[in-house]
Amino acid sequence: MAAVRRHKRVAAAQPGFLPIKSSLDGNSSVIKRRKRVNKNKKKSWNRFSDIQDVEEFLDDVRLQERATGGLIAEKTDDTLFFVDTGETEEKDTQAQTTVKKGKHSKPLRIDLILQPDSHIQAPKNVLAFQQPNAKKQRRISERAAKLAAMGVLPRREKLLQLRSAAAASGLSVKEHPVANNNPDRAFYDLWSAGTPETADPYYLEQTKKKLVKRPDRLNEKPSVLPAVEVIAPGGSYNPDFFSHQDLLREAHEVELKKQKAEEKLARQLAVNEDKATEESTFKEQVEGLIEEEEIEPQEPEGDTEDTVMGPTATQEKKTEKQRKKEKAQRIKDLQRKVERQVIDKQQQLFQLRSISASVKKQEQRTEMRQAQRKVQQEAQKSMPRRLGRLKFQTPDLDVQLSDELASSLRSLKPEGSILKDRFKSLQKRNIIEPRERARFNRKYKLKYSEKRAFREIE
Amino acid sequence: MGGLQKKKYESGSATNYISRNKARKKLSLSLADFRRLCILKGIYPHEPKHKKKVNKGSTAPRTFYLLKDIRFLLHEPIVGKFREYKIFVRKLRKAYGKAEWSGVQRMKENKPAYKLDHIIKERYPTFIDAVRDVDDALSMCFLFSTFARTGKCHVQTIQLCRRLGVEWMNYIITSRSLRKVFLSIKGIYYQAEVLGQTITWIIPYQFAHDHPTDVDYRVMATFTELYTTLLGFVNFRLYQTLNLVYPPKVKHTKCASIKYMDLHISYQKLAALSASLARTVPSVEDEEAELDHFPAEGEDLEKMETREKMELEQNKQKKLFEGLKFFLNREVPRESLAFVIRCFGGEVSWDKSLCIGSTYDETDETITHHIVDRPTIDKQYINRYYIQPQWVYDCVNGKILLPVEEYFLGVTLPPHLSPFVEESEGDYVPPEKLKLLALQKGEKPQAEEDEEEEEEEEDDEDDEEEDDQSEDEDEAEDEASLAEMEEKRAQGKSLSVKVTPGKVKPENRMRTEQEEKAEEKRLAIMMMKKREKYLYDKIMFGKKRHVREANKLAAKRKAHDDANKPDKKKKKKKC
Repeated sequence: MAAVRRHKRVAAAQPGFLPIKSSLDGNSSVIKRRKRVNKNKKKSWNRFSDIQDVEEFLDDVRLQERATGGLIAEKTDDTLFFVDTGETEEKDTQAQTTVKKGKHSKPLRIDLILQPDSHIQAPKNVLAFQQPNAKKQRRISERAAKLAAMGVLPRREKLLQLRSAAAASGLSVKEHPVANNNPDRAFYDLWSAGTPETADPYYLEQTKKKLVKRPDRLNEKPSVLPAVEVIAPGGSYNPDFFSHQDLLREAHEVELKKQKAEEKLARQLAVNEDKATEESTFKEQVEGLIEEEEIEPQEPEGDTEDTVMGPTATQEKKTEKQRKKEKAQRIKDLQRKVERQVIDKQQQLFQLRSISASVKKQEQRTEMRQAQRKVQQEAQKSMPRRLGRLKFQTPDLDVQLSDELASSLRSLKPEGSILKDRFKSLQKRNIIEPRERARFNRKYKLKYSEKRAFREIE
Repeated sequence: MGGLQKKKYESGSATNYISRNKARKKLSLSLADFRRLCILKGIYPHEPKHKKKVNKGSTAPRTFYLLKDIRFLLHEPIVGKFREYKIFVRKLRKAYGKAEWSGVQRMKENKPAYKLDHIIKERYPTFIDAVRDVDDALSMCFLFSTFARTGKCHVQTIQLCRRLGVEWMNYIITSRSLRKVFLSIKGIYYQAEVLGQTITWIIPYQFAHDHPTDVDYRVMATFTELYTTLLGFVNFRLYQTLNLVYPPKVKHTKCASIKYMDLHISYQKLAALSASLARTVPSVEDEEAELDHFPAEGEDLEKMETREKMELEQNKQKKLFEGLKFFLNREVPRESLAFVIRCFGGEVSWDKSLCIGSTYDETDETITHHIVDRPTIDKQYINRYYIQPQWVYDCVNGKILLPVEEYFLGVTLPPHLSPFVEESEGDYVPPEKLKLLALQKGEKPQAEEDEEEEEEEEDDEDDEEEDDQSEDEDEAEDEASLAEMEEKRAQGKSLSVKVTPGKVKPENRMRTEQEEKAEEKRLAIMMMKKREKYLYDKIMFGKKRHVREANKLAAKRKAHDDANKPDKKKKKKKC
């Protein structure tokens, strides 16, 4: 804008200024009828003031600047004209050079067209040279310089120095933690008495450098069972006949029990079907042939009885006399009861022997029960507890039948899986709760469709 | 009286327990992480006494933990690591999704890891505690080391388990602390005595795996993680106690070759179990710590004597195979046999093509025992026994070198008895075990053989007529032997009382002592309270019943043997 304004001013100051397009000027000079408008508003100024001449003039100025790099009027004559002194030899030399350079050196015409032909320099993009947060960064750098002067290095540089120093000495600064299952991991003496901690215990506690003491209760095992239960002697690969039979019997009993339970369940779940008897088949065959006698319903009678039954709401009021009588009766009863008790107590003196016998009997029974309970509690210690949704399922006994037994160690076929055995052992010792594998439930039905390629082949 | 009415489930057992889900939320962990944390820290679920109260009136079965336990878990630094790992996984997944491969690489390099050292220290405050609990760890490690690389667990875990297992076996060999072995249909049970602790573990047979589907592999892997750490530290300490180099190295005789020996090969040699380990302090091999003698009196003296005897016996057992040279044919379980033989001082080798670490060839003339598990073998050397592998195990369990005749090639083997059965008095004892007991006392083997020879001779002479007779004789002999056995056992019991033969009245004194004791017992029985008497009677009745049953079984066995005898004889004749 400033440039434009300057040119306006310059143009106005030129006395002998001749516009290039004089024809346009002539057109504009056609007299128009003025329209009356309010001049108190800028809107109407803009709308109705005729600035075409000014604009044309300015366009002309721009054109001149573009084409020649300034106003022609301002130019010196040297730049505008030259003295024609005839042909020079330049042409020949130029032609030679072009021939030498060949086709490639010549720029394409399209490129030439696209070249900016304006003589005015493009304005500088100020934003491109501006630095964001320049002030802040300047301050930061100033501060860093100040710190550096004091001998404090930034963290990154410090680390870099450390690293370079370590590399020089052949040690790595940061040890990556070794994975727990790394086969080459190192072990050390864990239980050696290290240097005793001298720091303040409160400080250690607060900074979480000291671990919380493990309660002793947690070091007790949840079951008294041994970690590895050795199989019965019948489980030997080459067992003694009788111990093998013992084991087989045990397994057999377990199986029997299971079978019984299964049978019971089947029995309970069986649908109680009516079996066709002769009578029922006959009935079926003749159904509808014989007129059925209509049985009169006897329900209404029952209903009436039901309605009659029930407590009567109204009770007659007792008279004074009745009340007194009842009270006397009550007192009498009570007295009789007390008397009876006294007599009984006296009588008990003669029953001493039988009483003592019964007391003894009772004591004996309680003792027996106590002993039983104790035994049960002991047994409980080695029993799997109910720790979750599922009960512990005793695994099947690993047994080989007599004809399965291997004749030699070479031909032995191992029975059962030790992994499963271990897993069950952990469950049995109440270390983990018994669980079952989560069943996969598909939420939506699968949809099958043939691939197009496949269909095409068909 | 008075005051506010107590509300339900605000005190007592309802507040002492916390359900699993609540605990999980309190720790803000996923279920899998919570489970892992509980396993690592040794926090077990608890069955409350009053479930309905704890469950706020509901009777639905749930898993409960003690609230105090969960509060204790809140302080565990590993919880933070779990969360870190969760975030790591999330970031990694995101990077994968965006295909930022450099980011993936960087993240993988900085994968968060945690250590269980402090947990081990916390759970096992002393070394002995850890040794006591190493059974589980061993079984699990040996089990995992046999897994194939099927993706059921991490390959590194398998390798670590194998390494720890090999280290442990080498320790047992060097310390010679194996006591019992039992070949079962499941796997091989071993029992060792380490630092006074009896440790039992099971090793599966090789190539015996099908992966069961109803086992939670994640849980098992967590246990293994804990147990490998535990076993590693235990191994380190155990090696230290024996002045062995840890990580173990094979002791080398030729100095030149070692330098060039690859690390991998040395590990494999270690795993072959045929070479002894290098020590930090070169020590004399046979240093036997003599038991300290203190002047003692009375009972202490007796105890001392028994202990000394035990010690002697153990030392003898430790050198069971010393001086014997074994050669394993390729069809026998190499690792197990090498382990057992080396545990008792024997030398062992195998075919070069079978495994690394064989020390001598089959053609070696000094081999005393050749272990074969096939019916016949073509080329036999005359100066060695060809025996079946069970002989080795039975010798270990019997604590003596058994006669090899019953274990020759193609011979029907005697039953492999479980060494883990401790028969109490009056139990049924299989006759094979009786024989073994007799052998252990070093009295019977000759007689037994004679018997058999006699039998055979008789058989040769006449066939059917003599059968009944010989059986009768057998029975008589058996009975006699049984009676002898009983006597010996009785003697063995009273052996702790020392009797010097030179004195005049020892027997009388003993008798009077015994009488006195009997009298005392009788009186004690008389003086018993009624309920004690009742209990005592019950116990005695139970014992008698036990004995009766045992007798019945023995009789049955004899009947069975008798029934089988004619068959056996026929077989023998055919042979």
